[in-house]
Amino acid sequence: MKRAGIGGLLIVVPLALALLGPLFVPEQQTRSAPFMPQGLLGTDFVGRDAWHQVLAGGQTVVLVALLATALSYVAGVPYGVVAATTRLRLVDEVLMRPLDVLLAVPSLLVLILVAAISGPGLLVLVGVVTLVNFPDVARLSRAAALEIAGRPALEAMRMQGESWWQTSIVYTGRSMLRTLAADLGVRLTAALYLVASASFLGVGVPPDAADWAVMVDRNRGGLFLQPLTVVVPALLIVALSVGVNLVFDRALRQVRT
Amino acid sequence: MNLASYTARRAALGLVQVLAVVTLVFVLVQALPGDAAVALAGDNPDPARIAQIRAAMGLDRPVLERFVEWLAGLPRLDFGVSLVSGRPVSEFLFGAIGPTAVLATLTLVLLLPISVMAGVLAALREGSLLDRALTSISVALHSIPEFALAVVLIAVFGVQLAWLPPTAVGADLLSQPAVLVLPLVVLLARPICSISRLVRAGMVDALASDYVRHARRLGLGETRIRFAHALPNALAPAVQQVARTTDWLLGGVIVVEAVFVIPGLGTVLVDAVAGRDLPVVQGLAVVFAVSTVAVNLVADLVAFRLAPRTEVVA
Repeated sequence: MKRAGIGGLLIVVPLALALLGPLFVPEQQTRSAPFMPQGLLGTDFVGRDAWHQVLAGGQTVVLVALLATALSYVAGVPYGVVAATTRLRLVDEVLMRPLDVLLAVPSLLVLILVAAISGPGLLVLVGVVTLVNFPDVARLSRAAALEIAGRPALEAMRMQGESWWQTSIVYTGRSMLRTLAADLGVRLTAALYLVASASFLGVGVPPDAADWAVMVDRNRGGLFLQPLTVVVPALLIVALSVGVNLVFDRALRQVRT
Repeated sequence: MNLASYTARRAALGLVQVLAVVTLVFVLVQALPGDAAVALAGDNPDPARIAQIRAAMGLDRPVLERFVEWLAGLPRLDFGVSLVSGRPVSEFLFGAIGPTAVLATLTLVLLLPISVMAGVLAALREGSLLDRALTSISVALHSIPEFALAVVLIAVFGVQLAWLPPTAVGADLLSQPAVLVLPLVVLLARPICSISRLVRAGMVDALASDYVRHARRLGLGETRIRFAHALPNALAPAVQQVARTTDWLLGGVIVVEAVFVIPGLGTVLVDAVAGRDLPVVQGLAVVFAVSTVAVNLVADLVAFRLAPRTEVVA
């Protein structure tokens, strides 16, 4: 009980800031000297109010992570199900073997490599994080669908002459739902981790973007003058990932027991 | 299957993986983008300059020819020449590999005893306060991005308390161990969590298993049962997870080197990406990918030796 409370609190603060924060950023922004003690947190490396940057900067991290997670399911689940339910073993091999190669490459490396070539852009970031998460989702759905495809219930449905839609999509889909839901937390934290780390390394976002991870990177020079400009966004990212983990871990326990 | 034939099959798979990854890297860097030369010319897309870069990169020759040439150079550690400085890429790699190797080796050396100890302790006192505390911490810390943790630790221990140096600027890593403390803590945080959880789960399973019960019936000492019989079986999945952590570790090293200003391979990579120095990026990608595949290979072999029933899983 207690842990869910902490997890919930940890998730709510950064989420609320990320989603509602941009509404509270004033239209007119004044700039002063870098790292001056003005406003709530002081000013950042180019003299903007760091608190306004915090308010505006959560959106990209959260939205990119959510979008990339959703996309990796959209692509990975049908892919895995097709590989599992195909009658030709060759198709299964052709679909799944290339993923082994993708899994052998460090994910942050893929991200840096692709972003280095295709240039910055939030869509690139979404695409690469999807690509990195995709093999895991595909493998998981293949394993889940394989198990379901061998069930007597499905055999019986086939013999009763149920349609392909009923057996392959409705029944299989419903049975896979729990496995996929259990995995959702892991995927989401992985996506958050990748998005934040990539932004920190300057991949996929402009160097002066209002983004928590970019703030941490850019304001590091002022760590001695205005430590809050670095620590507050860093803590928000930490809170978000710890919170997501705790909440999903608890939800999983409740489903199991 | 005995160890020799397992090794042979696993090594063959590793070789295929290396070849596939190397090809992937080449395709990504050379063939996929609209034109690397245009991207490199950057702000002044002057046709003459583009043509010049093209000739320098050999982009005017057929792709296959370039690929074969590049591939043939790899075993001789010839990765091509940097576009920005004109120095051979291998020079960059050898110059920067020291600090990265120090970080990675120390992390792996510290990782195993700490996480095995934590996992075994938690498993032996299953359900105790210690167990629950360790589990909660490992769930929570498991996925924090390294840079966020690093910056918070620097702010607290480096700046506020001033116990440890906040960065490693200009320091020699081995002669000043103090600069290594924070980077290592950051690098260890995630793997320790995941591995100690696996060791704990494996140990709990093993201690409840039939063979442990049988060993108890035979009157073997408890220490011997725990460490000679239960632990090796509990370690097999953990060792494979160690290999998966190299993935994190490489990513982590890139970030940690950037945060603590350590002149290693990660810094070279970030600089090369910023400068669009594609041959250097390419060479580093090969080095990182090959070491990941190699570590996975070794880990699978160790896991097979510990519990010889695992199949070749790619």
